[in-house]
Amino acid sequence: MTLPPSDDGARGEGARVAAKTPRPGAGTGASASAEVEMRGIVKHFPGVRANDGIDLTVAPGEIHALMGENGAGKSTLMSILYGMQRPDAGTILIGGREVSFTSPTQAIAAGLGMVHQGFKLFPSLSVTDNVVYGREPRRRGLIDRAAARRKVAELSERFGLGVDPGAPVAELPVGVRQRVEILKLLYRDARVLILDEPTAVLTPAETGALFDVLRGLAAHDRTVLIVTHKLREVMALSDNVTVLRDGRVAARLRTAATTPAEIAEAMTGRAIELDRRYPAGAIGGPVLEVTGLTVRGEGRPLVDRVSCTVRAGEVVGIAGVAGNGQTELIEALVGLRPPDGGRVTVDGRDVTDAPVAARRAAGLAYVPEDRAEVGSAPDASIGDNLAMGFHRAEPLTVRGLLRPAAVRAHARRLIGEFGVKAGDPADPVSTLSGGNHQKVILGREMAHDARLLVVEQPTRGVDIGSIQNIHARLIGYRDAGHAILLVSAELSEIIGLSDRILVMSEGRIATELDRGEADERRLGLAMAGAAEGPA
Amino acid sequence: MPIDAELLASALRALTPILLAALGGALCQRAGVFNISLEGMMLVGCFSAVTGSWFTGSAWLGVLVAVAATTAFSLVLAVGSVSLKADAIVLGVAMNLLAVGLTAFLLRTVFGVQGAFSDPELKGLGAVGLPGLDDVPYVGDVLGGQSPLVYLSWVAVAVAAVFLSRHAWGLRLRGVGERPDAALSLGVSVTKYQYAAVLASGTLCGLAGAQLALGNVTLFSENMTSGRGWIAVVAVMLGRAAPVGVLLAALLFGIVEALGFRLQGQGLPQQAADAAPYLVTLVALFLSTARRRARRASAPADEHAAPQPASLG
Amino acid sequence: MPRAIRGVLFSPIVFALVTALAIGAVMLAVTGANPLTAYQAIVTGALGADGIGNSLTQAVPVTGMALALAIPLRAGLVNLGGDGQLVLGGITAAAVGLASPLPGPLTLVLAILAGMAAGALYAALAAVCENRFGVPLLVSSLLLSYPAMSAASYLARFPLKEEGSSLPQTRQLPDGVHLPSLGSGTLNAGLFLVAAVVIAYAVIDARTPTGFEIRMTGRNARFATYAGVDRPRLTLRLMAVSGAVAGLVGSIGVLSFPYRFIDGALITPNYTWTGLLAALLAGAAPLGTLAAAVFFAAMTTGGAGMERVTEVPREITTVLQALIIVFLAVRTGIFRRQPRGDS
Repeated sequence: MTLPPSDDGARGEGARVAAKTPRPGAGTGASASAEVEMRGIVKHFPGVRANDGIDLTVAPGEIHALMGENGAGKSTLMSILYGMQRPDAGTILIGGREVSFTSPTQAIAAGLGMVHQGFKLFPSLSVTDNVVYGREPRRRGLIDRAAARRKVAELSERFGLGVDPGAPVAELPVGVRQRVEILKLLYRDARVLILDEPTAVLTPAETGALFDVLRGLAAHDRTVLIVTHKLREVMALSDNVTVLRDGRVAARLRTAATTPAEIAEAMTGRAIELDRRYPAGAIGGPVLEVTGLTVRGEGRPLVDRVSCTVRAGEVVGIAGVAGNGQTELIEALVGLRPPDGGRVTVDGRDVTDAPVAARRAAGLAYVPEDRAEVGSAPDASIGDNLAMGFHRAEPLTVRGLLRPAAVRAHARRLIGEFGVKAGDPADPVSTLSGGNHQKVILGREMAHDARLLVVEQPTRGVDIGSIQNIHARLIGYRDAGHAILLVSAELSEIIGLSDRILVMSEGRIATELDRGEADERRLGLAMAGAAEGPA
Repeated sequence: MPIDAELLASALRALTPILLAALGGALCQRAGVFNISLEGMMLVGCFSAVTGSWFTGSAWLGVLVAVAATTAFSLVLAVGSVSLKADAIVLGVAMNLLAVGLTAFLLRTVFGVQGAFSDPELKGLGAVGLPGLDDVPYVGDVLGGQSPLVYLSWVAVAVAAVFLSRHAWGLRLRGVGERPDAALSLGVSVTKYQYAAVLASGTLCGLAGAQLALGNVTLFSENMTSGRGWIAVVAVMLGRAAPVGVLLAALLFGIVEALGFRLQGQGLPQQAADAAPYLVTLVALFLSTARRRARRASAPADEHAAPQPASLG
Repeated sequence: MPRAIRGVLFSPIVFALVTALAIGAVMLAVTGANPLTAYQAIVTGALGADGIGNSLTQAVPVTGMALALAIPLRAGLVNLGGDGQLVLGGITAAAVGLASPLPGPLTLVLAILAGMAAGALYAALAAVCENRFGVPLLVSSLLLSYPAMSAASYLARFPLKEEGSSLPQTRQLPDGVHLPSLGSGTLNAGLFLVAAVVIAYAVIDARTPTGFEIRMTGRNARFATYAGVDRPRLTLRLMAVSGAVAGLVGSIGVLSFPYRFIDGALITPNYTWTGLLAALLAGAAPLGTLAAAVFFAAMTTGGAGMERVTEVPREITTVLQALIIVFLAVRTGIFRRQPRGDS
């Protein structure tokens, strides 16, 4: 495992030293004084022991990080703590009293609060209405908006959140929305705040601001439990770390007394080469050429005069904080969103305004980010899903008639080639695991043998074994002389696979890096891009 | 032609059933339930109102029976759509046909007639005056002398508007419709609010049916709602599920209908008058979606949209 | 009990049928009728020696409309404007049949084609409303339906009205412009036309790339778009075909007994809504739609037969049909689509 450099971007900004100074009571104290204590938590799912006897202790006023790879059991543990799932065994104590929640409502009443990864806000309502929702101050039967507003403004000020109580949530940037979520918890007198991957959607600057807020909360004796897999953030923020692996506690560490290397080893447990860098490809002529591509949004452009080239035998990676135009750029490239300006050619053919079918005919294949909503019809059979796109040509269709036997044969061939673990091609795609579902889509799109493959988040929600398999296949596809445009939120994936990296920020390509120049630190700085410019 | 008092008065009569049903539809929409069974609910309201009035001899008890029966009928949608997650369109189409069959069947078994039931003895709602208002010129002619349910429908618009914007339950209902998962995470029961909205739409459609069968006319005939419930569905869409918006949409429909009726006296074929409200509604939908699109395209630069550097301390 | 038999017994359709019949029985009992006698009379009325011909006659328009509405439904599109497309087809066929100077058989063909074209164009208009103006198809097709019915009514009452008649109907079509009868009953060659539509739909659905695209669009429209299906174009074409089939049903209704367009005669029997229910019941699958439509048509005919022998109102069959769909919908939710509405 390649470790990130010990001194990195996110640390430069906050009062790091203060955070590292253990506060009174913060630490792996005796369980009598623990704010949250989970003992021997066990939770089975069919075929999986998601939690296998986990102990977790968090002291009042502590910032505690819960770490682990995808599938280590973090989410399950937190949903048990928050009353969304019942454990098969184990006990939970909050403030020293044993509890048994059957719903989040009970957890909230006990002083817990969670900021979910996808925010749970009402976009059309104001900040105040979002905060007081479900517990509205009333006056003569109606909502007392003046009192509600006062209370929200007061909380915002006390904890330094800087949120305008009257603003409609739809108009707020992501970082501020997150603080609205925190306000909701504070309004409900939460003493324990659980944050699930809180920085996934934030720019580095927003991340720094969030950390300041969290430190402020801890200083006000609130307990913060942050679920994450980002080492850098754990080192910058937390007092203690609990590392999970395969449903068990792999390590309990004091942040001040540990190193990123130690945490990383606890997380992976083996020398798995997740951040392997593949050798460079043999680069040929240009396949995708984009000049001045623009997509307008409400106000500023979502994609702002983007120009780039992807050549045969090359993987070009697009990095960036979510919401900086990557999605819209890809949609415009593949024909799902009309561009407002610029030019796109695939293999020399102008497809700027062409419908999807014409782009595919010109040599474009596409693995979308959303597998269930866009990339497949989950209710339809694996065979039908694999046939899509091949259904108009021989051998599936002969003299205008679709041949069911050929559809089945085609499905079996791709299932075999891509190692999809599937029973029968007639089974619906929804019966497959995340990794196998992705292999169905990847297999279908690669089978087109298109000159250009556009891939978004190829390994999101995919198990570790499948990740390596998918990476190897992408590189193999590249080495066969195809061009690949890769969008990923996983920096290690971008660095490991790309021959060239483009960093998007606010709809523009902020930086272009060659494979030799790229590391996580430089990418992080580039992603911060314009956000760190003059305010 | 001038829009005189008589025309407006007849427009008000025409729009009241639609308005009441559309208010119910708007509540459902706000709670996240797609209700296309307004037509069937209203028809059940018509029949039960006539039945209630006939057997009790009181139009008011007829209204009460209509409200009770239609609310009970709306339970089908509540249970099916909210609890059992049935497709709202399939269920709506089936409920509308169920209402047609059920009322026709009962018309024959209860009244022993086919097609329509009317009797001079059947008590209608009649007209009431508004004290003090009847004598005001013009206004009195428009607003006075309407069925009590007409006045009730205006009150219902106001109550619904205040409820949705100012009452805690209204806020929660809107939240339930917008982001059910978010409402649930704050301990607000999505099911409860959706049930309430559907049952309220049943109640309102009961009133709508009563107004149609005991107010606008005093009879029941098979399929007498003849598309009014569907117009209410469209009014919900046109009025963006806001009570006042729904009122305006229903008003548009009512005025066109009354105007068409008036023009028939001057030689316009009845069929043209019948068709006009639907065409006008369709055009209004074009304009409303076109305007929304235009606004979206030319939205002014939004200062909030850029990621803020935030407080760096 | 073997698993296969249990699977059938506890399938959603059997559940829906049994529950609907049970509720119907309670209703009948409450109104003083004997449910068993009534149900028996429905079966006899539908399948007895006298009934079977009537059932088939009734099945032609119901199946036709069921297919018309199933075709777009297969791609997840709900056409609520069947009534308008049906009557436009009917009145157009009548007008062409009366006005054409061509010999009988040619006029017959021309009238059918004209009726189909009228329905197709009108239904396509609803698709244009969605594609171009952003009005959901569900609403645009429905709103357009009423003016079409008014227009047909106007034509039957004024320009095309039979002189001297007190009824709102056109003149009778000349002898040569009648669809040939089959046997001595009410059955006519329209049966073959609808059968041809069933076969064409079944083949296209199962065995052509276009049918495949339609099915996949119904499963997940965004996936179909992603894979290169041009949805606005597909909507337009499916609606045109849907309207054409509805127009065909209208034409058959006019070109068979009583050989004229009578205002309301195509609407009152509820072909459109019964057909839509049948299509929904079968998830728009071709043969399933056929089976459901024939079943519903037989029920309707049986209801009329029952009314003659038992004096139980025939409307009970409409109630039963609707109840079956209600229970099927709540039991399966198989037609669950993405939430719609544009707010």
